[in-house]
Amino acid sequence: MDKFMEMLENVLMPIAEKLNNNRYLTALRNGFMVALPMIIFGSIFVVIANLPFLDRLIGDDAFAAYQNALGPASAATLSIMGLFVIIGIGYKMVEGRGGEAIYGGVVAIASFLIMTPQIVEGTPNVIPTNSLGAQGMFLGIFTAFVSAELYHLFVRKNLTIKMPEGVPSAVARSFSALIPVTLTLTLFLVIRIIFSFTPFETVQNFIYTLVQQPLTALGSGLPATLVAVLLIQVFWFFGLHGQIIVNSVFDPIWYSLNNDNLAAFEAGEELPHIVTKQFIDTFIVGIGGSGMTLAVIFVIFAVTKSRQLRELGKLGGPSGIFNVNEPLIFGMPIIMNPLVMIPWLLAPVVVAAVTYFAMSTGFAPRPAGIIVPWTTPALLSGYLATGNNIMGAVMQLINMVIVFVIWFPFIKLLDKQYYGEEMRIAEAKA
Amino acid sequence: MVKILLACSSGMSTSLLVQKMEAEAKERGLDAEIWAVAQDKAPEDMKKADVLLIGPQMRFMKKKFSVTADEVGIPLDVIDPVSYGRVDGKAVLDKALELIEANKN
Repeated sequence: MDKFMEMLENVLMPIAEKLNNNRYLTALRNGFMVALPMIIFGSIFVVIANLPFLDRLIGDDAFAAYQNALGPASAATLSIMGLFVIIGIGYKMVEGRGGEAIYGGVVAIASFLIMTPQIVEGTPNVIPTNSLGAQGMFLGIFTAFVSAELYHLFVRKNLTIKMPEGVPSAVARSFSALIPVTLTLTLFLVIRIIFSFTPFETVQNFIYTLVQQPLTALGSGLPATLVAVLLIQVFWFFGLHGQIIVNSVFDPIWYSLNNDNLAAFEAGEELPHIVTKQFIDTFIVGIGGSGMTLAVIFVIFAVTKSRQLRELGKLGGPSGIFNVNEPLIFGMPIIMNPLVMIPWLLAPVVVAAVTYFAMSTGFAPRPAGIIVPWTTPALLSGYLATGNNIMGAVMQLINMVIVFVIWFPFIKLLDKQYYGEEMRIAEAKA
Repeated sequence: MVKILLACSSGMSTSLLVQKMEAEAKERGLDAEIWAVAQDKAPEDMKKADVLLIGPQMRFMKKKFSVTADEVGIPLDVIDPVSYGRVDGKAVLDKALELIEANKN
């Protein structure tokens, strides 16, 4: 067993290292981090705009006016999150290369807008907001990568304007970004023009049809979701931060799906997707942290006699409420512990499948596209993420029960072992 | 004054440890500045620190961090998983001081 574990760890460590330290994935992770305050701000106002019972309290007309007044908050942030992600990526890419980062940000934005449709239903000079959110997400990410790299390449090639002697150096410097920016943007303009002659018409349409749609279709399905959930657990089992590793690949997909649902939610239409960013963050991870360990803490308080496990419960309880569970993972320990491997790997997969079916049959509401900070305690997060729907909290409660039941026999077994050891030590002392 | 930097994915679980380490330092009358950051901020903050300790769940960052650590001349190590699980401020503080001491020679 030890040999096998060691072998697996030797495989997983380099994967974790590569995924976490990859230049592009690092910039992507940071890009989403830059956008996060904007995303949360918008989410708060979606929640406030959809307060329950308010329509009955103040009447339909007043409620519509109320929603209209608050609408711009999310429209300017959450709905067009792609824009902020792109600035963040461009900035961090060039910063990582040691260049003037702010130009990385603006050149990425400009390149992205050049590639974006600028017409809506025949009306020119209009950029559809959907292009800046869900629909343009992948194009934006690619464009930010490429434009930032190109910009920096041109800077490094020293393609700057040489000024004759006697011209103040500050003047020359003021042109330093000019040529790299011009070259980069011209390139993107040429690409746009070429695409206008293809059946796709725009690059966004091309990327959306050929890359984003297949990937999000795959990512929104149950099989890929179960694989992602299981991978998170496997990484954590070896004490590696599974979330940060898996998220860096899945976030673009989960956020695009998220914004599709948000658009539908705000339009009062049926929500298209079950799996979104919040499906994972709220219904799988956000119940005590990866592995949904809040329910495990309940098991510990319910059945254990060993001092070691009860102490662990007390230590891990308060932080577990806010979905920080490293004390439990390393303290039990869960890592490399064959005794708890089965519930650790199994429970989240079962919960993911159950939640998926509950949402597809309409028993539980689907995530409404509201991004809830991951430290939000369970039940509250389920309520908020589904657009102030109490059934979202009920779903989380059901998930907790599932985890509780799956873990129960294993914690009992572990407790028996620990308690026996404690008794033996006590006897030896006496 | 010793300056101890802790890093994990978002600086969340290490900040739990920071509280315990601060309490332990206070008890010993040790003048210490202890803080936790997310991994992406660690290289920047290393310049202000005497030692860097990495959460075990981010141990795959050690290689990358050691490049910057060598540049600024500070030692670094991964926190022992058992001490991490127990949020053992005493053990981790000892470890930090040990690393700083060894680095002086």
